[in-house]
Amino acid sequence: MITKKKILLIDDDRDFLMATRLILEKSGYEVFLAENGTSGIDMIKSIAPDLAIVDMMMDTWGEGFDVIAEVRSMDRGKDMPLIILSGVDLQGPYQSFEPSNEFPKVDRILHKPVKADDLIQHVKDLLG
Amino acid sequence: MTHKTQEGLVLIIDDEETIRDGCRQALEKSGYAVITTEDGPEGIRIAREKRPDMVFVDLNLPGISGLEVIDILLEDIPHIVLVVITGYASIVSAVESMKRGAYDYLPKPFTPDQLRAVTKRGLEHHKLTIEAKRLRDAEEKMTRDFITFVSHEMRSPLVVVQQSIESLKMVAGDCLSDEANDIIGRCEKRIRNLEDLVEHWLNIRQIEAGTLIREKGILDLSAVVMRSIEDMEPLCEKREITLERDISKDLPMITGDGESLVRVFVNIIGNATKYTPAGGAISVHAGYDDHYVTVTVSDTGRGIPKDKIPFIFEPFYRVKETGEQLEGSGLGLTFCKRIMDAHNAKITVSSEEGRGTTFMLRFPQ
Repeated sequence: MITKKKILLIDDDRDFLMATRLILEKSGYEVFLAENGTSGIDMIKSIAPDLAIVDMMMDTWGEGFDVIAEVRSMDRGKDMPLIILSGVDLQGPYQSFEPSNEFPKVDRILHKPVKADDLIQHVKDLLG
Repeated sequence: MTHKTQEGLVLIIDDEETIRDGCRQALEKSGYAVITTEDGPEGIRIAREKRPDMVFVDLNLPGISGLEVIDILLEDIPHIVLVVITGYASIVSAVESMKRGAYDYLPKPFTPDQLRAVTKRGLEHHKLTIEAKRLRDAEEKMTRDFITFVSHEMRSPLVVVQQSIESLKMVAGDCLSDEANDIIGRCEKRIRNLEDLVEHWLNIRQIEAGTLIREKGILDLSAVVMRSIEDMEPLCEKREITLERDISKDLPMITGDGESLVRVFVNIIGNATKYTPAGGAISVHAGYDDHYVTVTVSDTGRGIPKDKIPFIFEPFYRVKETGEQLEGSGLGLTFCKRIMDAHNAKITVSSEEGRGTTFMLRFPQ
């Protein structure tokens, strides 16, 4: 039996979670959902996902940053592939984030809404 | 009495005892709280701790330069009103103090009435300065909060609908009829329009708040124009419109923000594609004279009726033919105009119905 790769989605919008979940499940992944940063961190500990997709702007702008910093400080999360899915492009469409000390490295930064094909391609690239 | 009163707290730094006592008496009588000291460094320490509203400083203090005291106080205590007492009626040192940010000067000898008049005026100025800053901060915060609110609250539902359509196509794609796919396509198109509208509107708000144009620098406009042309090439190809260019190689540099200008040119060229039929052409020309760098974007489209030209930069104005399906947000040209204004640049349009339209964008060198 082939075990499915596990993906954790962290986003405070339940409808967005459902839509994204279907896209990933249809592509053969096992998908777990967390509706806030805290339960996301807990689930990384309990289910050990192979990849996490994190919304940037949850309850407060920047909660996503905190989640990412926390994940990167965990043994389990140090090298885990991380995708940021940002709903609000406060930087303007022509500028992109550069990883820095305050902003730990993530593997992809995607913009919402994301095309199903694009999302799957990025996930595939990261999970091999 | 060293507490702040309704009237304000005043600090006197002067090494002459008679001056200190005289000032104290005159000001306390009018309800001001007064602290006095003879020593410059001690005055600075008191000011840092008590945050007076106003300070009188003798320019001729022993051991420390009065100007130095002024510099430190102005640096450390925002909005402090500082008046220098000039012992030898030296206009030169008074002017020097004012240059450094002192509010006024008071030549010795002065009467209690003169002192009270300067104090009253100084404290009123202090109150107004603080009030003005508070209002400015409140307004800036409101604009900022509003932009953040709109970004999140208006875009979020759109994003969810778009993502849900993506997921619907994925989950049910194979079983959908052509008709069903057409319906989905129309939904997607209209949602994209709405998203553009929100974004354009947000951009305009950001220009107003001064946050969209982040940094102006020395700019090679030909590179900006070329980038915009490259951005628009695929769309023109798809619509079978020829995109011609004639860009002077040695355009003088201008001052501006490249990112926002790319968006301006993309908008103008994009606009031209909407009104130019297949087989038509759009040509972009960039040149210069002694004073201006000028970019023109001309199309061979249907043109704009003369009576409508004055309105095209107005928000939500659209040149629409009866029964025509609206495309775009109606804010694109407004956006361009605002960006051009922020560059002290001009955008004008000339058009002949049935023959085409030319937008001229003119930047000061």
